[in-house]
Order: sequence, then C-alpha cells, then structure tokens
Amino acid sequence: MTKSPIIVSLLAAAVAFATPSYADKLDDIIASGTLRCAVVLDFPPMGMRDESNNPVGFDVDYCNDLAAALGVKAEIVETPFPERIPALMSGRVDVGVASTSDTLERAKTVGMSIPYYAFENAVVANNKVEMASWEDMKGKTVGATAGTYEAIWLEKQVTEWGEGTFRPYQTQADVFLALSQGQLDATVSTVEVANANVNSGNFPGIRVVDKAPMVPDYVALFTLREEYGLLNYLNLFVNQQVRTGRYAELYAKWVGEGEPANLTIPGVYR
Amino acid sequence: MFNYTFQWKQAMARLPQMLDGAIVTMQIAILSMIIGILLAIMLTMFRLSGIRVLSAIAKTWVEIARNTPALFQIYMAHFGLGSFGLHLSPYLSLLIGITFNNAGYLTENFRGALKAIPDTQTRAARSLGLGQAGAFRYVVLPQMLRISFLPMTNQMVWAVLMTSLGVTVGMSTDLYGVTQALNALTFRTFELFALAAVIFYVITKVITLGARLIAARLFRY
Repeated sequence: MTKSPIIVSLLAAAVAFATPSYADKLDDIIASGTLRCAVVLDFPPMGMRDESNNPVGFDVDYCNDLAAALGVKAEIVETPFPERIPALMSGRVDVGVASTSDTLERAKTVGMSIPYYAFENAVVANNKVEMASWEDMKGKTVGATAGTYEAIWLEKQVTEWGEGTFRPYQTQADVFLALSQGQLDATVSTVEVANANVNSGNFPGIRVVDKAPMVPDYVALFTLREEYGLLNYLNLFVNQQVRTGRYAELYAKWVGEGEPANLTIPGVYR
Repeated sequence: MFNYTFQWKQAMARLPQMLDGAIVTMQIAILSMIIGILLAIMLTMFRLSGIRVLSAIAKTWVEIARNTPALFQIYMAHFGLGSFGLHLSPYLSLLIGITFNNAGYLTENFRGALKAIPDTQTRAARSLGLGQAGAFRYVVLPQMLRISFLPMTNQMVWAVLMTSLGVTVGMSTDLYGVTQALNALTFRTFELFALAAVIFYVITKVITLGARLIAARLFRY
C-alpha cells in the first residue's frame, strides 16, 4: 500500500497541531492569574470571618502568601471539612489550605505537601461534668467535628474503651454548641480552637481539662495526587515560609505567644 | 474538568458497613411513618372536632411542618430542645424531626382525602345507628386511608431520603452518616457517595414497587 507523501505530511501536521502542549496545574494556575484555595472558615483561628464577614485567619493568610509567591490573585473558597475533596476533584479549587491532617489513608486519594502546621489537641468538657484528665472521657458522651483527625482518634478511643458514645457533628460550632448545652460531656479539639472557643464567651459553661495524648496532628496542603509539579512547589513554599520566619510571624498573629510547633520529625527525612 | 480516578474496590470493601447503615435508615423511616400516620389521624380528628384549641394545634403543626425545611425541624429537635435542657440522642432527634414532618404532610393529605368522601357517607352510617365516632372509624377513616394511600407512599420515600439530614445532629449510624464517616477516613468521596446513592435508589424503588403491588390489591374493583 502506498500513500501519497502529501497526505502523509498533512496527517503528520494535523497530529502535531491536534496534540496540545501539556501544561500542568502549576502552569494553569499561573496562566489563569488566580489561585483558588479551599479554606475551612469554621475553624478559628485557622479560618473564620471577621466582623465585616471577610475571611481571615492563619489558613487565609497562608493562601494569600502562596498566591503572592505564585504572582497571582488569591481566591478563598469556603469549604466545610467534609467537602474539601469534592471541591478539589470537581475543579472548584486548586489547592486545599484547610488544616488537613496528612493521614496515610487520605494520601491514597490526594497529594499531600510536607506539613505546614502542627496541632496539639485539648480535651474540653462541660463544667457540670466531673473530669480531671483525658481518661475520664471513658464512658462519657463525647463528640467532635466529623472528618477531623481528632474525631477519627476519639471514635477509635470510644471503640477501644467499649463504653460511652461518640457523636460526629458537621461543624465545629455545632460541637461546641452541643457541649455548651450539655448534650456532649466532652470533646477533643485543637488547643488553638479550644482556647479560642472557651475565651470567646459564645459557649458558656465549658472548660479546657487536659491535653489529649495524640501524636501531634500534622496538617498539609493538598492538591491532586498526580500534580507533582505543584506538589514540589508547595513543598518548597512551606520550607520557605519557615525559613523566612513567616511561619513564626503568622503563628504570633493568629495563635499568640509561644513557639510554633516544629514541623520536622527527628530521625526521618520528610 | 473532573480529575478523578475511580477506585471501586475500595468503596465496595465498605459495602457491608453501608448496608448496616441502610438498615438503620429503613428503621427510622418505617418508625417515623407508623407514628406519623397515627399522629396525622389524631391531628385530622382535632381538625374535625370543632374544638378551637385542638384545631389550632393541628393547624399550627401543619403550617410549621409544611412551610419550614425538614433540616430545620430536625435541628430544632436536637439543638432547640437542647437549649431548654432536654437532651435527645441523635437517633431520637432525627426520628422526631422526620415524624413531625410526616405527620404534618399526612394530615394535609388526609384532609384532601376527606374532601373526596361525600357527606352522604357519614349520614348513611349515622342512619344505620352508628355514632359520630363510629361513623368516622368504620366508614370514613378506611376510605380516607385508601384514598391517601399513594400520597403516603410518597411520604415514605421522602422519609427515607430525609434520614440523610441526620448528620447535622451528629447521627452516624444511618446510611448517610456511615457514608460521611467513611469519606472522612478515606477521602474516596465520589465512589462512596455513588454507592450510597444506588442504595438509596434501590430502597425507594422497592418501596414504590411494593406500594404498587399493595395498591393493585386495594384498588382491585
């Protein structure tokens, strides 16, 4: 079978023309001029709204910094905890700056950066409940925000104890409302959130009891699993935030006194 | 732009847990229907009673149940009552919220059904020596339930779907609650929710088909 060289070369040209030059997510973001971040705005002081209803908090600033580094405009997309992944997968956001714990189970689905923050967790109880340490949670009605690291930990504890009840609520505000009303005896939340809520006066009748004995909850930025270019960028960005002192600055601004948690684990690389 | 690789095996491994959840969902839907029908019959009788207070109660119930979101009704059962120190478990809050909604809608359905039953039926029953209550119970009520049978099926389907609102009050053992919890654990959102949707679909299909079979018997002649 012989083909006319003209047809062959036309075909070749058509193929070359039809094959799009591959641009990855990192290029897409820079080209579009906007970085869309999934941020949870029900999680003070990481994400919340100020008096004029503007998104503020550690995660919001972190997204703004990232956008600035990329040379684009930041767009904060409010995303409740359970909707972080649908928001990413449906292309509504480019990255998650949403205090997302970097569990191995989740890393099967999304790509996680190196940790950009670490939480310690506190046990908060209703004043009417006798509780001296975290172990007194055994047998009590406890709850936490569905889908969070502490909720997963707490539910596992309750199962191990074999007594008591675990209730996942949809938002942090609902957890503290239930705790304040006495529907829950105790909850576990990050020290930052616990202190913010106890001191806010929005939820009377609650107190911080103890630290929860968890491995610090390291949280990562996340994006699509296969976007290595962007993931590399995110890793370097986190590194630079610490290196330049911006991490400590944001910590002082949103969390307060003290040292921000160390993001490295001695003895391992990542 | 939908960038996702579906991993069905991971979701299918969770199927037994989700089916356990489906049983809880069915349980709540069925209980809320049985109690809802009884309450709706009571509210319908309140309306017919001619006693001002009773018919006002019935009217208020129907107004709230039909004109506010089911989500609000369930939320109020948990956090609303909770603020008065009355603490209901998530299961009970969800059951009460859905039952409240069911009763309101069914009362309206029954009212429509009553309009389709001519007064002459009651008069005929009375002339045979039945009292006011007897005429309602033996003559009007059975016809009313028959006429409103298909709307009741709709309500049953709606009750099944309403269970998904339980997550707002901390419910984690029903189908939707289980799905949410698994999602938090694995982030396999789309597989899990697709699976849950199929289970919901099958449940409601079984209900409508079952109802059609029963209806065929009920409305044979």
